[in-house]
Amino acid sequence: MTEPIDPRLLSQLADARTSRRRFMSRGAVLLGGLALSPAVLAACGSSKKTTDAGGTTATTAAGGVTLESLRGTTMTMFNWPLYIEGDDPTTSPTIKGFTDSTGIKVSYTSNIDGNDSFYTKYQPDLAAGNGIGADLIVLTSWEAANMIQQGYIETWDAGLFPNIKNVLSDQANPEWDPDRKHSIPWAIGQTGIAYWPSKVGGKLDSVNALFDPKFKGKVTILDEMRDSVGLTMLGMGNDPTTGGLDQELAAVDKIKTARDGGQFRKITGNAYTEDLQLGDTWVAMAWSGDIASLKADNPDLADSIEFYIPNEGGMNFVDNAMIPNGAKNPGGASAFMNYVYDPKVAGPLYEAINYVPPVIGAVDFMTADGKDSPFVNPSADSKFYEFRILPPAEDEELNRAFTEATQQ
Amino acid sequence: MAESDEAGAKPNRWHTPYLLLLPGLAALIFFFILPLFSIAKLSLKGGGLSNYPKVLTDNWDVIVRTFEFSGLATLGAILIGYPLAYFIAMRGGRYKNLLLAMVVLPFFVTYLVRTLAWKILLYDGGPAVSILHGLHLLPQDQALLGTDFAVVFALLYNFLPFMVLPIYVSLEKLDRRLLEAASDLYASPQRAFRKVTLRLSLPGIFAGTLLTFIPASGDFINAELLGSDKQVMIGNIIEKNFGKEFFRPELSALSFMLMGLILVGVLVYAKVLGTEDLA
Repeated sequence: MTEPIDPRLLSQLADARTSRRRFMSRGAVLLGGLALSPAVLAACGSSKKTTDAGGTTATTAAGGVTLESLRGTTMTMFNWPLYIEGDDPTTSPTIKGFTDSTGIKVSYTSNIDGNDSFYTKYQPDLAAGNGIGADLIVLTSWEAANMIQQGYIETWDAGLFPNIKNVLSDQANPEWDPDRKHSIPWAIGQTGIAYWPSKVGGKLDSVNALFDPKFKGKVTILDEMRDSVGLTMLGMGNDPTTGGLDQELAAVDKIKTARDGGQFRKITGNAYTEDLQLGDTWVAMAWSGDIASLKADNPDLADSIEFYIPNEGGMNFVDNAMIPNGAKNPGGASAFMNYVYDPKVAGPLYEAINYVPPVIGAVDFMTADGKDSPFVNPSADSKFYEFRILPPAEDEELNRAFTEATQQ
Repeated sequence: MAESDEAGAKPNRWHTPYLLLLPGLAALIFFFILPLFSIAKLSLKGGGLSNYPKVLTDNWDVIVRTFEFSGLATLGAILIGYPLAYFIAMRGGRYKNLLLAMVVLPFFVTYLVRTLAWKILLYDGGPAVSILHGLHLLPQDQALLGTDFAVVFALLYNFLPFMVLPIYVSLEKLDRRLLEAASDLYASPQRAFRKVTLRLSLPGIFAGTLLTFIPASGDFINAELLGSDKQVMIGNIIEKNFGKEFFRPELSALSFMLMGLILVGVLVYAKVLGTEDLA
């Protein structure tokens, strides 16, 4: 208990809030990506060819909008932080490659920090059809489903987005957006478990490590209802994709009992990484992207903290790109997603941002490091579940129960 | 209320003060009355007036805890801040400004970073815990983070200058001759302090208490960063859940409850302290 604190750790923690979300150490990967990216080269070459990897360059659209006619226009995208190379649109190879090949400029802002807050902020303008100053937005499936249902979302310009066929088959036809007419996955993240093997004394592989009394007071879970309830359900042998309200409420009860017994050090959002980094937390429910950044930013911790998808399965969250109504350049938005859905483009992009690419064949265009990374290319043995889309009344009931169990 | 002392003011241009009032009044209407009104309206959606008793019973433990934490932090700030302000005002001499700067200087750093810094000092493997364990002042299996102590302590720390400065001002302007008079009248130093210094610095304590207690009651950062799920305060409940549309009416009602309870608390406090006659 008297080990001296590493001064580097101190300085990192002092600006943990920002540094974790930016990347310093990612520079090398970026440069490498820029130099190697066949996508950039391919994209610079031609805009009228069908690529052998299944990427198709759009030329015309049903509505008569041609890619050529969009040259010189600007497409505006709102996205989450860390969802483009280096979190910096001015240096992103993907954005540069798109502009070079199509002549469409991209105005990109990382200004989405929550589904609820996004909805709160823009709902009035979407309801009035005023437009929100964006042609492309990215939201998590349950919120995307809600917005599509409210009629706030435009359909893709199919002629400009032939690469939509490259979407992973299990993402191709969700119940809430048949045939992906309105939405397309931007990134797939994983919720699993991060831990200190040295502190827990061995290797962990189950969800139920979160509830193991040996780790009492050394565990953190997330205040995102879908993640915490979903993983707990998996530990109870239930399926969060198909399970109903009763199973979900049973999981909430299990969380409440554990919390009352002092099992959790904290139930929190992004703040969990700080306690994990300090070693105060031994076992943490964690988002893959956070752990990837944490390891990349702290090479000295990279071997101390491990991340795994439990053998019972992990949760997936899918963030979906969509065109909000009132968009000024829907054609540009469709063309941009078409570009990203070229596996040659997607491979380096997703390797750089450390998320699972939703694009078939993208992994083939990654470096050996990317192919080995569990964050980008999870093992085929890992099972993933996406939380079911809740009807509004059940959404409220479950949220209330979860809030009561975790906060009051 | 204080009497105005503009003895030589001419009766013409009577409207000038009102014109001067306009910007402030407009700000008050736009930034205070209107938002308050819209929150009041929101708080009546869904369950109507029944939202109020509902949030009170649902969150009773959290409400009690919030006032306990902010009350303890305020009390601690008085106990630490008063002697400090007294020392600076009475004995500071030519170092007065330097000492005041030292009180204020740490607060040039962002709130968030300051609070995170405490996390580094208080974490399980950190210096504070090691020292306390070494001195056997803290049981070996006891941590500091995630305890009531950590949150109250951080609240105290973060709001201390707001206690020190008003008390300092009230002590600084105290007429020293009154103390001489008290001792001429055979008051012991303790008695002179109690009857003169303390009485005359009550407005400072009162102002400091308001500036500490009210923001501490609404704070959520300290509980979020240094506490656990056992230290949730009202601010955390509102911050975490306001995004969900169906929670909003209740959370608005909760905000009003918080305001109401603080207002009642402050009025009672003013009555007990008797500051109305002093201000």
